[in-house]
Amino acid sequence: MRIGRNAGSYVVPLLVLMVVAFDVPILLMLASSVLAPHPTVAHWAELTETPIYVRVLGNTFQIALITSVVCGLIGYPLAYWMRGLGARAQLAVVTLVLLPFWISILVRTYAWIVMLGNNGVVNRSLIGLGITDKPISFLYNQLGVTIGTTNVLLPFLVLPLFAAMLKIDERLLQAAATLGAPRRAIFWRVFFPLTLPAFAAGLVLVFILTLGFYVTPAILGGGRVPMISNMLDVLINQMPRWELAAAISTLLLAATLALYGVYRTIAARGAA
Amino acid sequence: MRLTRRELLATGSALAAGLAAPGILRAQGVKEIRMIEAGGKSGESMDPYIKPFTDATGVKVVRESPNTFGKLRSLVQAGQTNISLFEVGSTSMEQAKALNLIEPIDWDAVQPEAMYPEAKDPMGFGWQYYSTLMAWRSDAKAPKNWADFFNTKDFPGKRTMQDRPYGIVFALLADGVPVDKLYPLDVDRAFKAMDRIKKDVAVWWSAGAQPPQLLKDNEVQYAVSYSGRVAGAPGIEYTYEQAILDLAYLVVPKGANKADKAAAMRMLREFSKPALQLEAAKIISYTGPSPALPAMLPKEKLAEYPTVHREKQVIHNVKWWFDNADMIEKRWQAFKLSL
Repeated sequence: MRIGRNAGSYVVPLLVLMVVAFDVPILLMLASSVLAPHPTVAHWAELTETPIYVRVLGNTFQIALITSVVCGLIGYPLAYWMRGLGARAQLAVVTLVLLPFWISILVRTYAWIVMLGNNGVVNRSLIGLGITDKPISFLYNQLGVTIGTTNVLLPFLVLPLFAAMLKIDERLLQAAATLGAPRRAIFWRVFFPLTLPAFAAGLVLVFILTLGFYVTPAILGGGRVPMISNMLDVLINQMPRWELAAAISTLLLAATLALYGVYRTIAARGAA
Repeated sequence: MRLTRRELLATGSALAAGLAAPGILRAQGVKEIRMIEAGGKSGESMDPYIKPFTDATGVKVVRESPNTFGKLRSLVQAGQTNISLFEVGSTSMEQAKALNLIEPIDWDAVQPEAMYPEAKDPMGFGWQYYSTLMAWRSDAKAPKNWADFFNTKDFPGKRTMQDRPYGIVFALLADGVPVDKLYPLDVDRAFKAMDRIKKDVAVWWSAGAQPPQLLKDNEVQYAVSYSGRVAGAPGIEYTYEQAILDLAYLVVPKGANKADKAAAMRMLREFSKPALQLEAAKIISYTGPSPALPAMLPKEKLAEYPTVHREKQVIHNVKWWFDNADMIEKRWQAFKLSL
């Protein structure tokens, strides 16, 4: 009881700061979609009457979905492989996974141009080896954006997943083996379900983070892959359309919260 | 007679000191003023104006960037009064006027030297001309006009164009609309012409640094670019033929305090001096608002400067773009989605 009260007194200032500095501005911003310059539904009407905005939102969700799936497909085996390594190798690999965090997102984005551009290392090698006679367009399309977002977001999936895998009690797997389960069954019926909450959490994290990407689609998409942040940037910074931007942001937030709800349901089922 | 940079600056400062009555600013206790500008080389090209101002008045100038329109709006709405000058494009200045975000320029206090009339706006000081033009790799077939640029059959290669709707002016020129019949823009016709080229546009750029880089990397062979970014760049050619000439303005955000504003007006006088504009033009190939400047520019680099080619170019029609901003933005996003 005393511990709880003490903890509470520490948390309160932080909570107040969060509410004042973060939640209130968000509410004010969202409110401006119906209150600025006077109470009106005009901005929402415009949003629903103009299919462009909704389509860009849809496109953004599509990219986020693709990125989550790709991150999952690469990240899960990677984390699983890391779990099986010796302590020293594990440290080395974790460092490698963490390395991108220390490099600016801009530098990494431009590095992809050096690697995958028409005159880039990969295309020159492919042409040199006679595998292709014309450069392959890796960049300035959806593929380029997916490569960029996956590169940035993979650690967000791998690290928590790896931590969750390390926590799994080895005796559970041994028990299953003693009872005669084949390796495949041990993985799918014991190991995988135990990692599922962390896996799902990582996927949702990647999904939500992709929704807010700005630099990567602007550069690696070549302006051909419209995402919602880039459109919000135009509405806020180029045109004075803050109210419309607020309406779109509200929609984005609502969709994200709904997704979070779905995730919670899945996670709850996994735990039951 | 050719002056060195140092001599020029010294002359400028001496003149300024004589004219400025710097005591007034000192008495008002202004130690520094802050300005928000476009950044990069263009931002650096403000230093030749700032130095004589600081020498004469003792007032320091802090430059910050970038200068998004959203920033100006939030500064003013938040009652932030410590920004004295803000750089905006000509269309943004109209938006700022409409939203009541800027104060009038006190031209009596500025006492500028001769300037082009459009640069002397009641609400803004036109400080730097820039052009949007066509550029291409030296090893690509040279286009003469926008019809060539849009003709991907006879001029094969990838293009890059700005990720803003301004390129539709080029589409209309390519489609045979004469310069004097451009405005009001026939938007339907323009987007039809844009449809012809869109599959050959590899990149829609959003930062001015992209076009020269994409040309250099051979990602594209033809580009729409800001003039100052490609002028003098090795391996890249360009033409001012049918380019769009536009002007960047310095404005005073609403609510700037009186002393800061007085200091800003005093600094704008430096911006009107052709000798200092010449120094700025050596840093980036953009030109200041003095009609005397073109005659002073270095002969061997004369062709690089936007105002030298005034008669070849289309003047950006601020009013049309301001009046049609919402419509054109929606059309543009719809066009982009159909890529």
